[in-house]
Amino acid sequence: MSANIIDRRRINGPQRSVEPIYPKQPTSTSSAGRPDGRAQNAVRPIFVKTGPLSPQASSAACPSGSAYYEQGKIRISCAIYGPRQGRKSNARMGAFDCDFKYAPFSCSWKRSHMRTSDEKEIALMLEQAISPAIRLEAYPKASIDAFVTVIESDGKAATISAAINCISAALVDAGIELYDSVAACSVALSGSQWIYDCTQEEEDKAECSLMMARMPSADEVTYLLQHGKTSPAQTEQAIQASAGVCTQVYAVICHYLQASLEQ
Amino acid sequence: MASLTLSPAEHDYILRGVESGFRADGRGSLDRREVTLRTGMISQANGSARCRIGNLGVGTDVLVGIKAEVNSWTPGDNVPETSGTIVCNVECSPSAAQEFEGRGAEELNIELTQLLDRIFNGPQSGIDFEKLCIIPKQAYWVLHVDALVLDVKGGIIDALVWATRAALMSTKLPRVVVESIPDEDGVMQAEFDVVDDPEDMTELAGAENMPVAVTFSQIGRRFVVDASEQEEAVAQARMTIAVSPKMEICAVQKGGVLRGFSPALLAEIMQTSLKIAREELDKFNKHYAEAKNMTDGRADEPSTGSTFLVPF
Repeated sequence: MSANIIDRRRINGPQRSVEPIYPKQPTSTSSAGRPDGRAQNAVRPIFVKTGPLSPQASSAACPSGSAYYEQGKIRISCAIYGPRQGRKSNARMGAFDCDFKYAPFSCSWKRSHMRTSDEKEIALMLEQAISPAIRLEAYPKASIDAFVTVIESDGKAATISAAINCISAALVDAGIELYDSVAACSVALSGSQWIYDCTQEEEDKAECSLMMARMPSADEVTYLLQHGKTSPAQTEQAIQASAGVCTQVYAVICHYLQASLEQ
Repeated sequence: MASLTLSPAEHDYILRGVESGFRADGRGSLDRREVTLRTGMISQANGSARCRIGNLGVGTDVLVGIKAEVNSWTPGDNVPETSGTIVCNVECSPSAAQEFEGRGAEELNIELTQLLDRIFNGPQSGIDFEKLCIIPKQAYWVLHVDALVLDVKGGIIDALVWATRAALMSTKLPRVVVESIPDEDGVMQAEFDVVDDPEDMTELAGAENMPVAVTFSQIGRRFVVDASEQEEAVAQARMTIAVSPKMEICAVQKGGVLRGFSPALLAEIMQTSLKIAREELDKFNKHYAEAKNMTDGRADEPSTGSTFLVPF
C-alpha cells in the first residue's frame, strides 16, 4: 500500500509492518530429521469440524454448509452458499465458483486486504480441483459458491491442499450431490527424497513441490501441479507417493464427517 | 478458454473421432499445427517475438515483448539477494474474442500469467538469474515479459511458451559497469552505470536451457496435442507439461473443470511428453534460426510497420 493513501473505512495498522522477534526455537538434535520431528512420510495431524457457521435458527442468509479445517499450524474456514440462482439463466449445468482469501495476518509478511492475482489463481485451482467431483448436471441454472478464508498458513502447497480438503468437507455438510470427496496433499523434493506435507520452512529449502488432488473411490486425479525442476522418474515417484497420501487424508476426512453425523 | 458453441452432432463427431485416432483436420493425435515464428520486430523492446500456430489468418497469435528495468532491492521483495527476476504479464486482447472485452478476460489472463511465471521465473527455467544481479542487495535487472494474445484458435499455452522462449533467447541487455567509490565516511560503496551503447549488448545467460511446453487435452478416453478451437470446446480437461532440453520436468499443471485424469492416462501423458518435447526442441531451434536470419538480414532496412506485417 502506498504511504500516501490512507484507508478511511478501516482502522489502520502501522504503514510498515515488521516480523516480530521470536525467542530462538530449539533446533532438532539430528540434522537428518525434520524440524518438527516428523518422519519423512508423516502428514501433519488433521482436525475437521463441519457446521460451525451453519444455520442454528432458520435464517436464509446463513451458508448451507461450512467447515473448519486444521492441519498442523494451517487453519482454514470454508462456507458454501448454494445451490442458488446462477448468473446464466439458460445453463444446462450448474456452476461451481470459488473465492479464496488469505487473512492479512495469516502469512509471515502482511498481506494486502485486497485480492491479489495470486489468490485469484488459487481460487481457479480450487475450482478446477473440485468441479469434477460435483454432480453439476443435477443443478441446472444454479451456482454453488465456496468462500475460503485462510486464517493461518504454513507452506503454500500445503495450504492449497488443505483448502481443497476443507471445501470437500463443507460440500458434504451442505448436502451437495458429489461423485466422491476430493482429498489433496503436497510433497516436496529435498535433496533426492520426497518429504510429505511441508511447512513453510521446509518448502523454502526445497527445490521442487508437487501438489495433487484426487478422488480415491473414482480413482481420478482432479488436480496436479508441479513447481520446480525434477527428472521424469522423480515426478513419477511423487505422483505414486501422493496418490497413497491422498487416500489416507480421505480416510481421515470421512472419519470426521461420520462423527459429525452421529452428533 | 474462449468458448465455441458446438452442436451435439459436432461434439459427438470430434469425441468419437479422437477416440478412434482421427482428428477433424486430418492430423495425428500427437501432431502440431504449422508454426510461424518471428523475432526482433519491436525495436524499442529488449527482446520480442511473435508466434502463430495454425495457417495464415486462422490461428493462435501471440506477441511477446521484453523490457528490462533496473530495480532497487528491498528486503520484502521476494527476490533473493544475489539474483534478478522475471515478471510476466499476459493480456488477451479483445481483438481475439468478443468475450475478452472489458474484464471478460481477467480470469484467463491471471491463469496464463501465473502459468508463464511458474515455467520461466525461477531456477527451473535454466536462466542464470545470478548474472541478472547488478549489485547484491542493491540493484538487479527485472525483465518484464509482456505477452499480448492477438488471436485465439486453440492451443494458447503452447503459443505463449514458444513466443516467450523466442523472445527471451533474443533479448539483449545493455552492459553494466560496476565501480567501487568511497563515500563521505570513506566506506567503499558500489555504484553502477548502464552503458548506453546499442552495439554493446549482452545476451541472457542460460537462455538455451529454457523449457518447452506441451499441452495435452483430454477428449473422451484419449488425448490430443495442440487442440484446435473445436477440439478445445469438446475437451474436458488439459495437462500442460514443461520439459527442459535436458529432459527434466520443469512444470506440470492441470487445467479444465469438467473432469480429472485416470492414473493410467496420466502416466501415458508423462511418457509421451518427453518424446514430444525432443521433437519440439528441434522444431523450435529450426524456426528460431530462420527467424534470426530474417532479423539479421533486415538490420539495414528502416524498421517500419510493414516489416512487422510482411512475414505473416
